[in-house]
Amino acid sequence: MWVMLQTLNDEVPKYRDQISSPGLTVFPKPVTALEYSFSVSKRESYEGYIEDLKKFLKPYTAEAQKNLRNCQDGALFEQKGPVYEACQFPLALLEACSGESDPEFGYSKGHPCILVKMNRIIGLKPQGKPAIECTGNSKGENTTTLPVYPSEGNIDLKYFPYYGKKLHASYLQPLVAVQFNYTASSTPKEVTVECKIVGSKNLKNYDDRDKFLGRVAFKITMRA
Amino acid sequence: MGQKTPQIYSVELNGAKDMKQTDKGDDKDKYRGLWSTCLELRKNHHKEHVTKEIDLDDHKLSNKELENKYHTNIVTGLSSTQAAELLARDGPNALSPPQETPEIIKFLKQMVGGFSILLWVGAILCWIAYGIQFSNDKSSSLDNVYLGTVLALVVILTGIFAYYQEAKSTNIMASFSKMIPQQALVIRDSEKKIIPAEQLVVGDIVEIKGGDQIPADIRLLFAQGCKVDNSSLTGESEPQPRSCEFTHDNPLETKNIGFYSTTCLEVSISPVGTATGMVINTGDRTIIGHIASLASGVGNEKTPIATEIEHFVHIVAGVAISIGVLFFIIAVSMKYRVLDSIIFLIGIIVANVPEGLLATVTVTLSLTAKRMAKKNCLVKNLEAVETLGSTSIICSDKTGTLTQNRMTVAHLWFDNQIFMADTSEDHFKQTFDQSSGTWASLSKIITLCNRAEFRPGQERVPIMKRVVVGDASETALLKFSEVVLGDVMEIRKRNHKVAEIPFNSTNKFQLSIHKTDDPTDKRFLMVMKGAPEKILEKCSTIMVNGQEQPLDQSTAEAFYTAYMELGGLGERVLGFCHLYLSADEFPETYSFDVDAMNFPMSNLCFVGLLSMIDPPRSTVPDAITKCRSAGIKVIMVTGDHPITAKAIAKSVGIISANSETVEDIAKRLNIAVEQVNKQDAKAVVVTGMELKDMSEDQLDEVLTSYPEIVFARTSPQQKLIIVEGCQRQDAVVAVTGDGVNDSPALKKADIGIAMGIAGSDAAKNAADMVLLDDNFASIVTGVEEGRLIFDNLKKTIAYTLTKNIAELCPFLIYIIVGVPLPLGTITILFIDLGTDIVPSIALAYEKAESDIMNRKPRHKKKDRLVNKPLAVYSYLHIGLMQSLGAFLVYFTVYAQEGFRPSTLINLRVEWEKDFVNNLEDSYGQEWTRYQRKYLEWTGYTAFFIGIMIQQIADLIIRKTRKNSIFQQGLFRNKVIWVGIASQIIIALILSYGLGSITALNFTMLRPQYWFVAVPHAFLIWVYDEVRKLFIRLYPGSWWDKNMYY
Repeated sequence: MWVMLQTLNDEVPKYRDQISSPGLTVFPKPVTALEYSFSVSKRESYEGYIEDLKKFLKPYTAEAQKNLRNCQDGALFEQKGPVYEACQFPLALLEACSGESDPEFGYSKGHPCILVKMNRIIGLKPQGKPAIECTGNSKGENTTTLPVYPSEGNIDLKYFPYYGKKLHASYLQPLVAVQFNYTASSTPKEVTVECKIVGSKNLKNYDDRDKFLGRVAFKITMRA
Repeated sequence: MGQKTPQIYSVELNGAKDMKQTDKGDDKDKYRGLWSTCLELRKNHHKEHVTKEIDLDDHKLSNKELENKYHTNIVTGLSSTQAAELLARDGPNALSPPQETPEIIKFLKQMVGGFSILLWVGAILCWIAYGIQFSNDKSSSLDNVYLGTVLALVVILTGIFAYYQEAKSTNIMASFSKMIPQQALVIRDSEKKIIPAEQLVVGDIVEIKGGDQIPADIRLLFAQGCKVDNSSLTGESEPQPRSCEFTHDNPLETKNIGFYSTTCLEVSISPVGTATGMVINTGDRTIIGHIASLASGVGNEKTPIATEIEHFVHIVAGVAISIGVLFFIIAVSMKYRVLDSIIFLIGIIVANVPEGLLATVTVTLSLTAKRMAKKNCLVKNLEAVETLGSTSIICSDKTGTLTQNRMTVAHLWFDNQIFMADTSEDHFKQTFDQSSGTWASLSKIITLCNRAEFRPGQERVPIMKRVVVGDASETALLKFSEVVLGDVMEIRKRNHKVAEIPFNSTNKFQLSIHKTDDPTDKRFLMVMKGAPEKILEKCSTIMVNGQEQPLDQSTAEAFYTAYMELGGLGERVLGFCHLYLSADEFPETYSFDVDAMNFPMSNLCFVGLLSMIDPPRSTVPDAITKCRSAGIKVIMVTGDHPITAKAIAKSVGIISANSETVEDIAKRLNIAVEQVNKQDAKAVVVTGMELKDMSEDQLDEVLTSYPEIVFARTSPQQKLIIVEGCQRQDAVVAVTGDGVNDSPALKKADIGIAMGIAGSDAAKNAADMVLLDDNFASIVTGVEEGRLIFDNLKKTIAYTLTKNIAELCPFLIYIIVGVPLPLGTITILFIDLGTDIVPSIALAYEKAESDIMNRKPRHKKKDRLVNKPLAVYSYLHIGLMQSLGAFLVYFTVYAQEGFRPSTLINLRVEWEKDFVNNLEDSYGQEWTRYQRKYLEWTGYTAFFIGIMIQQIADLIIRKTRKNSIFQQGLFRNKVIWVGIASQIIIALILSYGLGSITALNFTMLRPQYWFVAVPHAFLIWVYDEVRKLFIRLYPGSWWDKNMYY
């Protein structure tokens, strides 16, 4: 056992074959299942979500990012070490969902923000121009594409590859926010949202068994 | 004997009242024994509803009365319509087969026996768990349903398998016992017809000729010179005369009744060559039918191996349930949900129960049964295979089992000298001095004064195997002279017989007068043989070295000494004499009249003595020696005369050469029998008469204080008493038997052994085993196989139990430490029923480590199949080592994929949350639920491979319990390697072939992970070698006692 532990690399796991393609996860962190339910008029019904988002975005504040590098857009940021730098992810990219202009992330207005991110995988180098695309489906209505920030849900290549917790301690993941523009009405609004990665050949967005590989589906129930 | 029969019978016995009445005046023990058994049964019986009484008055009725009673006619027989009606009323004339357990019950028993109940509980818990999940969440996964179904399937399949195996071995027996349908010659509608004996009805008139089996209980109407062999019914080996006179109140004694299934030996050729009888009872209402049903009422004792397996099941089930419940409580108090705790419980049960083991045991036993069948032991009941191995007392018949069952000339006495003849089965080379003139005369008498003849058409058959018409002694003499002199028939032809007096019991001699083959000698030769003292009385001279000498005091004394000596050997002695009748007095044309005896009957010339015995089979003395070194006591139980019994016992070694009976000591010291110190006597001969007067305690004392025991002149019923006596000593008793009357003893014995050739069907039905060659030596090979299988079953069980810990630990660690589940329940089943099956069967082929025939039989209550050292060593030593090895593989896989052991601890809750799709590993990578699940399955596969690799080492170490593997030879048992290959191949298929099937939870594992556990496998091997080394070095030490299983 001890021998086995000695053979381990501290920085990079020996194999990454079982996570060749990243999953998608959403924030605020769901409590029991992938369902968000709140009432626009009742602050306490969404306060938890706001807190969670704020907590999640803490490393993204300008203050926290000031030591990070402003990398060149549109290209992989490969490094040789021994010191590995992380690229800035300005919160402004998330526009209305950045929490800066609207500290309530749209929940109080009935335009809630949900953050979507790709799982970290060491050494992953996306090909093409990866982006997150979200669609919303409400009962009796057509499926519509939802607005995402940064525009078109782009995930810049400069955030890749990731070099692991130990070497790349300050690493910030790129985020995409999706916002709902449904107007609040008296009847509860139920929307099923599906987000997936598009635009990259090596990032899968469909797997029979893994419902979260390159995609994520969740439900928002909003009452007036 | 009655009070010694415990209430083990539950048979309905009809007509006991009649028997009791007719019992009056019966002076023969054997019948009394039989009937008092019956009566006792009757007394013990609670429900008494007498359906139909046996009518045993028929022997007293006249022919006319019989005709009226059965509405038949002695001349014309029944009409076909009458017969058909009676057949419809009484049913076929056949013994109804012993009450079979219905197939469905047998099947259901397999379904709920052993571990099945535990697995059923597991399966039901699975379904309940799913039910709860489903009621909470309609989309809950079907995993539990699958698992429940798989468990149920496992139970059903192993049940079907065990049932099939059982049925197969029963079928061997069924095909064996199927008889050629018997025919009967019956008079119906005034015509003689041949019909199947099954269709006989009461009132039928049947004709029987010599050699026929009597087709039903019949009252003889016409019979002349008829003799029957009642040995299967009463144990009497002497032919019994039968006639149509009513001679005795007791139907068993009277001469005018013939019994179903006994054999009619001969019927006088003149005037008609057949005996005629009227059927008075058919099928189960015959005497034989009643006795047969007696046997089926004797409770079948549970076989020792069944007890052992039950004991083992209890241990394992106890462990499973207590660990299961303990961890259920721990889990609940650790705030796991009850539902989850139930699922843990299922996992623990499945991990603990060796699902494949009982099927393996069945296969192992049936393999041994097959091997035994090749050695002429046909096993009816699989479990009897092992019973034979634990046998500590064998009660053996003499005739046919220990002996060759044919009279053979053993000794000759002439010229004042005793010569020995060869009595072995096949080599019939006589080496005694044949040059003397006395031998020439003696051989002539032997040849001529003999009525036995070979059946024609057997020229190519070896002499000893030819069929002879004639009684046992004459047959022996005929074969003897054929071997020594050549063509006997030719000699008889040349010496034409002119007159003859056959042997009868009043004269006690046989005589014939011949023309000689010497054309110059016109004298007649009179030859005579008979009881030696009768013959000697008629003689005045004796032939010594071919010369006639006057018979004086000293020669007479020599004769008596020889006679006593041969008699003392238990041999049947015959005297031979001759006389050349003077040609003057008896010219060639002289007419001899055997009734008037117009020839001299005194002053004959005594020629010699010849003694015969039913010699022991040549393989028996060896077999007895083996039994003795194997700690098995062989007791002879015979109906024969004590002297003969003792002589045979001495010659085969049942009474060893230097041991004496009380009587022997008395004779040697010339003191009264009472004065002999009984402790000095090692051997004892107990007669049936003595046995009858013994109390239970006295019998127990005899059985315990003498190592060498012979029971002589016993009735078949007394066999039951002897068996019970032995069983009171906690012995495992094997009993051989062939007669119908033996069947209760066969049933009562721990293992009843019926004779395949001489045995009656009733005996075969009651027995657990059939000796195809009737040879005692075959029992000994059976014992050897039985002991070997017990040893090998230990190995199999030790092998199987070991990995249970490796299967159980994952659950315990999972619950306590909270790591992702290392081994799935379904994966466990793949080990138990997949990779482990062939290897555990392979252990059955392992050769014995040392001479298993040199140790004492195992003690029923002390030497268990699964003892403490076995359980402790398998579970806590090798089992734990194996768990460590398997965990190493598991942790290696997780660590190399990103989860270090430290991260895994207490990760369980997050790990199993379906909506957590970004679980971080030790390197900051994030995993979706499915990715984790896949990794978990890889972990299962890794753990599985880890166990499998170490089970190979386990298999190799289990080859021996004491010797080093290198002493035993790694490659002697090829099947082991087949087993290892099967393990690897099944694992390869599971991992690489079926890795893509989700429900099985296997994934493709990197090849290098297959080798992670190899060092541990070697460690196990080395550890076990060290254990064995210490056992060998320090026998009897603490180590030996606690580490030797």
